[in-house]
Amino acid sequence: MTSTTAGDPLAPPKPAHSVNSNLAHLNPLPPSVFTLPQTAQLEALYTIIRDKETSRGDFLFYSDRIIRLLVEEGLNHLPVVARTIETPTGAVYNGVGFEGKICGVSILRAGEAMEAGLREVCRSVRIGKILIQRDEETTLPKLFYSKFPQDIASRYVLLLDPMLATGGSAIKAVEVLMEHGVPEERIIFINLIAAPEGLKTFCTRFPSLKVITGWIDEGLNDKAYIIPGLGDFGERRYCT
Amino acid sequence: MSNDFGEVLFSPESSSRHELQAPPLSPSIPALQPKKNTVLVSHGRPPWYAEDGQRISDAFVIGVAGGSASGKTHVARQIVRKLGSIPTVIILSQDSFYKFHNEEELALAHANQLDFDHPDAIDMTMFAACLADLKACRQSNIPVYSFAQHQRLEETKYLYGATIIIAEGIMALTDPRLRALYDLKVFVQCDSDLMLARRIKRDVKERGRDVNGILDQYLRHVKPSYDNFVLPSSTYADIIVPGSNNDVAIDLISTHIRKQLLERSNKLRQKIAVPHKYISSHSGSSTPESILEDLDLTILKSTPQLEGIYTILRDITTSRQDFIFFTDRLSTLLVEHALQHLPFVPKTVTTPVGVEAHGTKMNAQYVCGVSILRSGGALERGFRRVINDVPIGSLLIQSENKSGEAMLLHVMLPYYVRYRHLAEDAYVFLLDAQIGTAAAAFMAVRILLDHGVKEDHIIFITFIVARGGGVSVLKRAFPGVKIVCGAVDDEMQEGWLEGYKGEGNPEGKGRTVWVMKPGMGQIGDRYYI
Repeated sequence: MTSTTAGDPLAPPKPAHSVNSNLAHLNPLPPSVFTLPQTAQLEALYTIIRDKETSRGDFLFYSDRIIRLLVEEGLNHLPVVARTIETPTGAVYNGVGFEGKICGVSILRAGEAMEAGLREVCRSVRIGKILIQRDEETTLPKLFYSKFPQDIASRYVLLLDPMLATGGSAIKAVEVLMEHGVPEERIIFINLIAAPEGLKTFCTRFPSLKVITGWIDEGLNDKAYIIPGLGDFGERRYCT
Repeated sequence: MSNDFGEVLFSPESSSRHELQAPPLSPSIPALQPKKNTVLVSHGRPPWYAEDGQRISDAFVIGVAGGSASGKTHVARQIVRKLGSIPTVIILSQDSFYKFHNEEELALAHANQLDFDHPDAIDMTMFAACLADLKACRQSNIPVYSFAQHQRLEETKYLYGATIIIAEGIMALTDPRLRALYDLKVFVQCDSDLMLARRIKRDVKERGRDVNGILDQYLRHVKPSYDNFVLPSSTYADIIVPGSNNDVAIDLISTHIRKQLLERSNKLRQKIAVPHKYISSHSGSSTPESILEDLDLTILKSTPQLEGIYTILRDITTSRQDFIFFTDRLSTLLVEHALQHLPFVPKTVTTPVGVEAHGTKMNAQYVCGVSILRSGGALERGFRRVINDVPIGSLLIQSENKSGEAMLLHVMLPYYVRYRHLAEDAYVFLLDAQIGTAAAAFMAVRILLDHGVKEDHIIFITFIVARGGGVSVLKRAFPGVKIVCGAVDDEMQEGWLEGYKGEGNPEGKGRTVWVMKPGMGQIGDRYYI
C-alpha cells in the first residue's frame, strides 16, 4: 500500500531509533512495570519536552499529551465487568462496564501538573494531595501535608508524580497511602520518566504495585537528576 | 450570504429575486453586476467521479465574448438563471487577468493612457491555465485586479468545484488556447453607440472616472480594439447573441446546455460511485472484497478501557453529557494513534541538565484537518488536543433526498489545501464519525485529490468502519489512503428514514438509509442535538 515514488525524500513513518527502547536501560523490566508503546510519535513528544529551548506553552501542550496517554494506560489496569446494552439501531451489544471507584493523588508540587490530563480522561475525578520534602536534618523524605478523599481506602488510587528519580518521595507517598488503608495492589503509580535505579528500588519495595512509565532513561547524575531527563518538571511547567 | 473567502454563495431563487429588483435590461440602463467572479450554488454538487475514483467528466465551459459594455455579464447571468436548478456555476471574468504593471505602465494607466483593450494587456497564459484547472475540476487561485489602483493585487481568489464555467471578456475568443477549452462559444453583438453610452454610465458610477477621460480612452483604445480584435473573433463563435432583447437566444443556449449536460449524465450515471449499491442487502453476508485484512485498516488496539468507552457510546441510554465526554476521549486516542502515519526523522536536543538526548521529530511541514460535517465535528476536540494550533476545514456533504447520493453543499478548506503548491506537501486528516456506505468519505478524498493532496498523505480518522459497507470500494479506488478506526462493525442494514416535508419533497416521503449494526446510532445527533 505504500506507493512511494522513486526519489521520495520523506522517511517512512517508523521509529527512527528502534533501539532506544526502555529495555536499553533496564533489562529485564520488573513485571509490575508497564511502558507506553515506544513509537516514533511518542519519541517525538519526549524530544520536545526534553529540549531546553522548548517554550513553556509547548511544554504544557506536549507534556499533557503524554500524561493523557499514561493515564489511559493506567486505567487499563482497572477491572471491568461484562455488560450487555442495546444500541440506538436496536441491536444488542455485548460490551464491558467500568468497575470500581478511583481517585488521583498527586505528589506536590510537580504531580499537580498531571491533574489536568487526568481530569480530561476521568471527568470530575477526586484528587488527593501529598507534600513530601527532604528533611534537612536526616536528609530523608518527610511527609509535610496530606489530604485525601475520606473513602480512599475503598478506591483505586492513581498516584501522580512526573519524574521517578531515586524513588524516595514516591516510596514515602505509598507508605502514607497504605497507612490510610489503601492496599498496595490497588495503587497505580504514573510517571513520565523513570531512572532505572529508582524504578528498581521502588519495585523491589512494592512488587505488586503497578508502575506506568512513559520512558526509562539512562540514569542519575551526581545531583540525582535524571539523565538525559528534562530538568525540573514543576519548574518548567509553572515557573520558567 | 458571504463566507470567509468573500465568495458570494446564493441559490438561483435568491439571485433571480435580486435581478428582478434591478432595472430590466433596456438600452439606457444596463443591468451591470459589480461582482464579476462568482460562484453560484443551487442544491449541491453530485458525484463527479466513478467507482474507480477517477473523474468522469470535465466541467462544461462556455466562452462569452463581445465588445465592452455589450452585456456579456448579463448574458452569462441570464444563462445561469434559465438553467434553473443546476449544480455549481462559476462565472470567470477576463478583467481578473489584466497583467501586473510596472511603475511606468502604472503612471500611464492613471493618466488613462494605457491600452487595456489590446490582447497583450491580458495575461492569456494565466487565464488559460486557470480555466484549464477549473475545467479539469481542480482548484484555481485566480488573480484579483483592482480598477481603482490599476494593478493586480497580492491576494488571489480561490475557486473550486464548478460543473459549469462561464468565461467572459472582450478577448474571450481571441486566444486559441482559450478557445480550445470551450465547449460552447458565444459572441454578444451590440451597437457601438449603445456600448459607449453604457460604458460612460458604468465607468463614471462604478470606477470613478471622468467623462473626458472615458471618451479619450474610447477613441484611442476601445474602438480600434473592438474593430481590430474583438469583432473579428466573432467568427469563432458557435452562436451570436444580440446585446439587448436576447431572451430567445438565451433560451436556445440554455436548452442546448441542458441537453448537453443531460447527455453526459445519462452516459455517466451508471459509472458514478454510489458505494451503497455494492452492499449486499442480505445483511451480514461477507462478500469476498470485505475481508477485514484486505482493507488494511489501522485499528486501535483493543483494551479494557477502549471496550468500555465503546460500550458507553453504543448504549442507547447514555446521557448526552456522557456521550460527549467519551466521544472526546475516544477521538483523542484515535488521533494519537493516527499520528503514526506521519513521517518522523531523528533529532538531537540538549536537555536542561546539559546533556544530549537523541530523539525524533515530526517531519511534516503542513498538517491540517478537514471534518466532514456534521458528525465529523465530533472528532475535532480530540484532534485539537493532539495537534497544536492546527487548521481545520470542513466539508458539508449530505445525502440527496431521493437517490441517497452524496451531495456536496459547502467547501471550506484549510489554507494548506487551497493552494496547490502547499497541498502537494500537506498531510490532511479527514475526520468523520463512521464509514458506512463510504459515499461521503469517497467524495471527501476525491476533493482533496482534486486539490493536489497526495493520496498517501490522506489519513482518515473515524470511530467505526462497517466491514460490509462501502469501505472496500473506497479502499480499492484509493489504496494509498490510510484509515484509522477504533472498531469494525459487521453489518450494514437497510433502514428507513422519516422524510421531512419541504423543498423537493412536498409529500414528506421518507427514504431508505443504510445503518450500521450494532453501531452507535446517529453520532452527529447524539453529539450535537
